Parts: sequence; C-alpha cells; structure tokens
Amino acid sequence: MTVHTEHTGHIQRDAIRATAARIRARARTTRRRHAIVICGFLLIALGLLVAQLYLTGDALIPARDVVPAALGQRDGLADYVVRRTNLPRGLTALLGGALFGLSGALAQRLFGNPLATPDIIGISSGAGAGAMIVIAGFGATGIGVQGGAMLGALAVSLIVYGLSWRGGVQSYRLILIGIGVGACASAIVTFVVTRLDEVSTQRAMRWLIGSLNGANQSGVALLGATLVIGLALVVMIRRPLSDLALGDELAVGIGVRVPIVRLAALLLATLLAAVVTSVTGPIAFVALVAGPIATRLLRVPDAPIVAALVGATLLGATDIAAQTLPLISPVPTGAITALFGAPVLIALLVRKKATV
Amino acid sequence: MTTSHTRGNSHGATRRSPIAWRGLGLLALVVVLAATVLAGLALGAREIAPGTVVAALLGELPADHYDGLVVVTERLPRVLLGLLVGACLGASGAIMQAVTRNPLADPGILGVEAGAAAAVVIGIVIVGVHEPRGYFWFALAGAGVAAIAVALISRATTSASREISLVIAGAAVAALLMSLVTLLTVRDEAVYSSLRSWSVGSLVGRGSVIGELLPFAVAGLLLVLTLGRSLDALALGDDVAAGLGVRVGRTRLWAAGIGVLLAATATAAVGPVAFVGLVAAHLARLIVGTEHRWVLPYSMLTGALLLTAADVAARLVPGRGELEVGIMTAVVGTPFFVYLARRRVRSSS
Repeated sequence: MTVHTEHTGHIQRDAIRATAARIRARARTTRRRHAIVICGFLLIALGLLVAQLYLTGDALIPARDVVPAALGQRDGLADYVVRRTNLPRGLTALLGGALFGLSGALAQRLFGNPLATPDIIGISSGAGAGAMIVIAGFGATGIGVQGGAMLGALAVSLIVYGLSWRGGVQSYRLILIGIGVGACASAIVTFVVTRLDEVSTQRAMRWLIGSLNGANQSGVALLGATLVIGLALVVMIRRPLSDLALGDELAVGIGVRVPIVRLAALLLATLLAAVVTSVTGPIAFVALVAGPIATRLLRVPDAPIVAALVGATLLGATDIAAQTLPLISPVPTGAITALFGAPVLIALLVRKKATV
Repeated sequence: MTTSHTRGNSHGATRRSPIAWRGLGLLALVVVLAATVLAGLALGAREIAPGTVVAALLGELPADHYDGLVVVTERLPRVLLGLLVGACLGASGAIMQAVTRNPLADPGILGVEAGAAAAVVIGIVIVGVHEPRGYFWFALAGAGVAAIAVALISRATTSASREISLVIAGAAVAALLMSLVTLLTVRDEAVYSSLRSWSVGSLVGRGSVIGELLPFAVAGLLLVLTLGRSLDALALGDDVAAGLGVRVGRTRLWAAGIGVLLAATATAAVGPVAFVGLVAAHLARLIVGTEHRWVLPYSMLTGALLLTAADVAARLVPGRGELEVGIMTAVVGTPFFVYLARRRVRSSS
C-alpha cells in the first residue's frame, strides 16, 4: 500500500515539475517572442527611415551624399532635401505613428473594445477642428495651433464620454456617439476651410485628411518628447488599467482607484492622439489597427509598446507609399490609411468575439 | 396590430385625431415649404424683394430685368433641384429605416452615397463620362455595391447589436470609398476644386442637371408611393408579415432597391449629402405616426424642406462665398444623430 502511495506521490511530483517546466518554457518563449518582435520592428523602422531618406523628396540627391547630408555634413540642396525635409518627415511619421499606436492601444484597453480608438470616436477630428478654429479665428501659428488641437481633442473626448455616460459607459454606445460627434467635428473643419480663402487648399486639406507634408524639426522634437513622457505614463498606468478588466467591483476590492485610473487613461489617450494630430492633421486608422496587430503578433492581450512600434512602422511605410506609389502619388498620407484601415475595421467588426 | 390600436387610442385621448393631426401637419409643412422656397429665391449674394420674385415667376418683368433673370435662371433651378433631391433623400431615409428596422439608417450614414460618389468620380476620372445622365448609371452601380457590402458586413457581425454594427459597417465602407474619392481627386488643385462636390454635396451651379435626372427621380418617387402597405406589414415582424401574405425577402429587397435608386439619383445630382434622410424620416414620423403609407410621402416633403432650408442657411452664413449644403446638413444633422444614438442604445440595453 505504502509503496503504491509513494509511487503515486512520485508521479504527482513529476507532473508538477513537468508543469512548472512547461510554464517556464512558455514564459521563455513569450519573452523571446517579445524580444524578436521588438527588435524586428525597430529594424523595420530604421529601414523605413533610410528608405524615406533615399526614395522621397522633390529633388534627387546622389546616393553617396545622402548619409553625410543627413548628418549635417553637406550644404545647399542636399542639406535642404535630406536633413530639413526628408529626415524630419521620416521621423515625424515614425514618432507620430508610435504615438497613435500607443494612444489607440490605451483606449482599446480602457473601453475593452477594439473599435474604441481616438480616430473612430472622433477625438482626432476634434483635434483637427480645434486647430482649424484657432487658425481661422485667432490667426494662431506654432504652439497656439498645438494648444487648439489639444483643447479640441479634450472637448470632444469629454463630450463623447459624457454623452455616453449612463451610470457607466457602454463601449458600443460610446463608439456610436463618437462616430456622430466626429462627423460633426469634420463638418466644422470643412466649414472653416471653406471660409478661409488665404490658406491654399493643400494646406487646409491637412486638417481634414492629415498629411506629413511640411514636417519640421520642432514638430519632431515635440513628438519625441511626448513619446518619451507618454511611454513612461503608459507603463505606470498599465497595471491598474489591466486590473480594471476584472470588473469595477473587484478592481476596487484590490485597491484600484477606479474613477481616477479611468480619467487618467482617457486623458492620456486623448492627449497623445491630440499632439500627433496637431502636427500631422487627423490621420485615421493607425491607432485602430496597431493594437490588434500587436496583440496577434505577441499572443498576449495587452501590448502597448509593441502597438507603438507597429503604429510607427505602419505610418512610416504609408508615408513612403503616399509619396512614391505610381499613379496616385503624391497624396496626403491620411488618404491612404483608410485603404488598409477600413478593411481591418470591418474584420474587427465581423470577428466573432471582440477582444483587444 | 394591438400596438397600433393602443397607439391610435392614446393619440385620440391626448391629442387631436390622427387624421386632423396629419392634415394640420401637411398644412404647416406646405406653408413652411413655400416660405423656404420664397426665401431660397429671394436671399443670397443679392437680395431681391419678394414682390419682384413673384413678378419674375409670373413672367411680368421685362426680359432684360436683372433681378428677374437672377431669379429665373439662377435661383429657380437651384431651388427646384434642392426640392427634388431633398424629396429623394427623405424617402430614401424612410425606406432604409424601415428595411433595416434601424432608426439610425440614412443613405449617407450607411455609405450608400459614398459608394455612388466614388463610382461617379471613377466614371469622370477614368472612363471620361461628362453628362449627368451618365453619372446616374455609375452612381446607381456604386450605391448598389456599397449597400450590398454594408448589408453583408453587418449581417456577418455578432459582436454588437445589429443596429450598431450596421452604422459602424456603413462608416467603414464610407471611409474606404471617400478615401478612394480623395485619392482620385486630390492630385492637383484644379482637379480637386472641380470635383470637390463629390466629397461634399453642393447645390451650387448644378441647376442644369435637373432636366437630365428628373425622369429617374420621378420614377423612384412614384415607386416609393407603392411601398407603403408592404412596409407597414414588414414593420409587424417577418412572421406576421408572411402570415399576411407578404413575401418578406422579396419585398425587403425591392424596397431597399428603390431606396438605393433614390440615393443614387440624389448623389448623381448634387454629391453626397448625409443626415437629410435621417432627420426627414424622423420628422415625418413625428407628424404622422408610424404608418408608412403616410410616413413615405411626408418624408419626401420634410426632406425637400430640410435640404432647401439648409441651402438657404448655407448661403446666409457670414463670410465670403457660399457654404456647401452638405456641410450644413452635417453640422445640423450630427447632433440629432447623437441624440438618437444615445436614446436608442439605452432602450435596447
């Protein structure tokens, strides 16, 4: 009898050990997958930046001059095209895409719905409307435009959130109301654009569709600083936010201050999207697409950093396509994102279980 | 059946009888519509006295009278176009709301107008079509494709309630198609400014299309009047409708086809104008209740009223130049959409 129990005990202990080994192995695979994906995307992003330098721009610069010009060792045309036009544009695309991806992943996590991203629920359009209003009404330039965009985005996100509040926010109600408010904000942008005569159509179009034309170094600096701060804040808020997924009561039970976390996440997602929009105009669908792609690649539910990388590579590649694709180029970058974004939106809508 | 009875009773108890109510509503609509038409003829960059307008319409002014010429050759075609397109959009909105059983349905929101606009731009830029009658066939094909796509997508979803997924599917399809329009038109500013009305609907300078598109519009509007009874039967639920001898699938397809035809006609005439159908159908129901026999003709009137009024308002907004009517309807229509969405989702949850 004893022999028998001992034997069973052995088997149990072996089984436990095997399970532990399996869990460790799985964790190792996950970590390795994480590392591979992050390194892969960083490489792709670098490649896109280089491609931006070589492939785009109004004038062709001899290939051997490109890298020195980017480092500031050339002057004249090469300096202007590479260092002052292409380099800021490429960096704006990568940093802006990263911010869109981060903001989208955060909003998807907050509302527990892959469709609830700043571009779908009208926050980007609100930022565009805010920028347009301060440009037209107060003749604002530079930092004033940024402020207007942020105020517009905040106003829209509070309006959408407030209107969909009914003792709690139901994500589909939020999306529906966001689509409506966003349409209104776009109409306001069109409205103001039509009123503005002195602005050329091309420049005004930026606040409707979004374009990386006219990216400059101060924009890059703003986006870079925002990305650093934003990443830090997202990492800080990540744990309490994932506790919210347990349900509000349980989250309160384990010591999460639910309303504060909600509000902080909403403000963070809004402001990240607003900063990019103030530089590029409302580029839709990058924020929507990045999170779900990152989730698929990592097979974990919550991946803000990889979502940022996915967003960066997406916007970088789209921007190069917008400038170089035969037949259609040059077009505003925001006009192309719908071509891959809308099908993904449809796929997310059709998929059986909506998970982030 | 019981619901309609109780509704009728409560109407009788609290308000006038439905028939008197409908009559009053009709009277009020016609008066307001006439006033709007008069305003549409009199107001604008050049203000013309109502007396002169009436005289010009009656042909009592000399042929070279400048104000008279403005009224007859510029503003009259534009107002007529607004009335016709508004009627098409209103009826189309009412039909789509009935067919989808979704109070948020509207040819603009569901992406049908975007499909029509994209097809017309393809027709102009790639095929080289240049007359409105040619636009119509492209618009019809595009609108049909978009409508089928949105219907299939929303049918395939299970993640949200069907009402919501229909709107999101419409928004996605519209975004895709409007980006196609942008890609085809934005390349240089000349093309963009000449094709701009295909991004935002506009009545400016389009009075001449009225003659070419009139047959399609009239045919569509007449067909709408035959739909009342079958849509009323459908509103009772598929099973009851089938019990009453209605072929549910075929009726729904036929009605949706007419709705798409009307939306395509409207878009071929003036470009995509959203929210008119949505608001018109709700306004009509507010006046006549839920019976489609009445809702359909009244929503033509309310649609015509809304579009004409929006056009007048767009002309009066201070600033240089005129505003496209599509912007005006979006600014006015989106708050209404949000209101409906807010109310609707609460009651369904």
